[in-house]
Amino acid sequence: MSMIRVRQLEKRFGATHVLKGIDFEVAAGEVLVVIGPSGSGKSTMLRCLNFIEEYDSGEVWIDGTPLGYRKDGNGVPKRQNEREIARMRTRVGMVFQSFNLFPHRTVLQNLMMAPLHVKGEPKDEVRARSLELLDKVGLGAFAGSYPSRLSGGQQQRVAIARALAMRPQVMLFDEVTSALDPELVGEVLGTMKQLAEAGMTMIIVTHEMAFAREVGDRIMFMDAGRIVEHGRPEELFDHPRTERLSQFLLRSRR
Amino acid sequence: MVPFDVFFANLPYLLRGALVTLQIGAIGVVGGTLAGFALGVAGAMAGRAVRALVAVYVFIVRGVPILVWMFMGYFGLPLLGARLGGFLAVNIVLVAYTAAFVCEIVRGAILAVPRGQIEAARSLGMTGGGILRLVILPQAVRESLPPLVNNSVMIVKQSAYVSIVGVWELSYAAREVVERTMAPFSIFIGVMFLYFLICYPIAMSAQCLEKRYARGHAQKE
Repeated sequence: MSMIRVRQLEKRFGATHVLKGIDFEVAAGEVLVVIGPSGSGKSTMLRCLNFIEEYDSGEVWIDGTPLGYRKDGNGVPKRQNEREIARMRTRVGMVFQSFNLFPHRTVLQNLMMAPLHVKGEPKDEVRARSLELLDKVGLGAFAGSYPSRLSGGQQQRVAIARALAMRPQVMLFDEVTSALDPELVGEVLGTMKQLAEAGMTMIIVTHEMAFAREVGDRIMFMDAGRIVEHGRPEELFDHPRTERLSQFLLRSRR
Repeated sequence: MVPFDVFFANLPYLLRGALVTLQIGAIGVVGGTLAGFALGVAGAMAGRAVRALVAVYVFIVRGVPILVWMFMGYFGLPLLGARLGGFLAVNIVLVAYTAAFVCEIVRGAILAVPRGQIEAARSLGMTGGGILRLVILPQAVRESLPPLVNNSVMIVKQSAYVSIVGVWELSYAAREVVERTMAPFSIFIGVMFLYFLICYPIAMSAQCLEKRYARGHAQKE
């Protein structure tokens, strides 16, 4: 069974039709990399998967449970209540382009907040797990620091650890290296690769083509709100079938 | 040379006035800040109807000088059937007036919390109340501390307006003493000093508070 199942996802911003029916599935442990020009809808698509962006129609299933809408007795989709949506979100970790760490909390507190507050887990357990996660992303020494003391790359690794502290089944990455200085990109990609190798189910929206090819089990090329090509990295990168993808790859190589 | 012995001779009387000013100021600061905080949270986070009501309140209160509000409170509240003494009436006015300004400070600080903060919290499964308490308010409070303290100093000084409807406090006492002694300059210099004694510690406490809440903001990104 698929860990993530997306059916006929549609989203409009006013008159703009951003997502025009997106269908795909991601198996457990699989890494899907989404590429495409800016404005293609890939970030919006990703944000719909945890309902941070509310899609208009279609279905999103996480590990067999719908996220966003639930069909009532007559098969009419009804928006889930905030509680249900929040509970589903705890299963889907997300990392943002702009880190979004909580500046008034230490690194460790950033990791511990949601497990304590949302899940009500025992403090000692959460602390131990959080420290372990920080070690894993190589930032154990910064547990007591405030985020503003950290470099962008370090902040982004904390953000990854913060999402992981909730023990999600799925991780979403929304252009997480785009705001970083070039020399800091590598450490974040390294952390993500490590996570992929550990078997996490991931969807990554990125402009890092080399990384996409290296880490992606499958690549999805989006343009103008549609999936244009979808397949194994070798197929897409070496043998693009559409003019749009070859053009995009040519431009990204520069 | 200004003869300050007139001032010192009347100091006990003026100090009693200062005590009343301190009292009115404290009520204004605490009451106004608390009420304004609630208004500010509502003005930033509540539904459209409540937000509109808050906006109207702020617009009306800020659009009229406090002097006029003092008259309105003193003469108007009894007309509405509220039997309260002058002291209570002016304090209500001061709190209500202050609340409008605090509301705008707090509302602005809440709206200034980056959208990404809320998205991150939601992505972690947090919801309304938790996000407000753990993510938005701590940042908004920190952001609004300097203007709030500044506002508190203003309130203490604005408390002098209550004398316009005959509520006795420091500035009222000062005018009484001046009329008795005919030494306006030395008396008012002394009164300036008394106001300063009240306001300066408030301004200083701001710096302590700011330092305390500056954690994590030592350097801005």
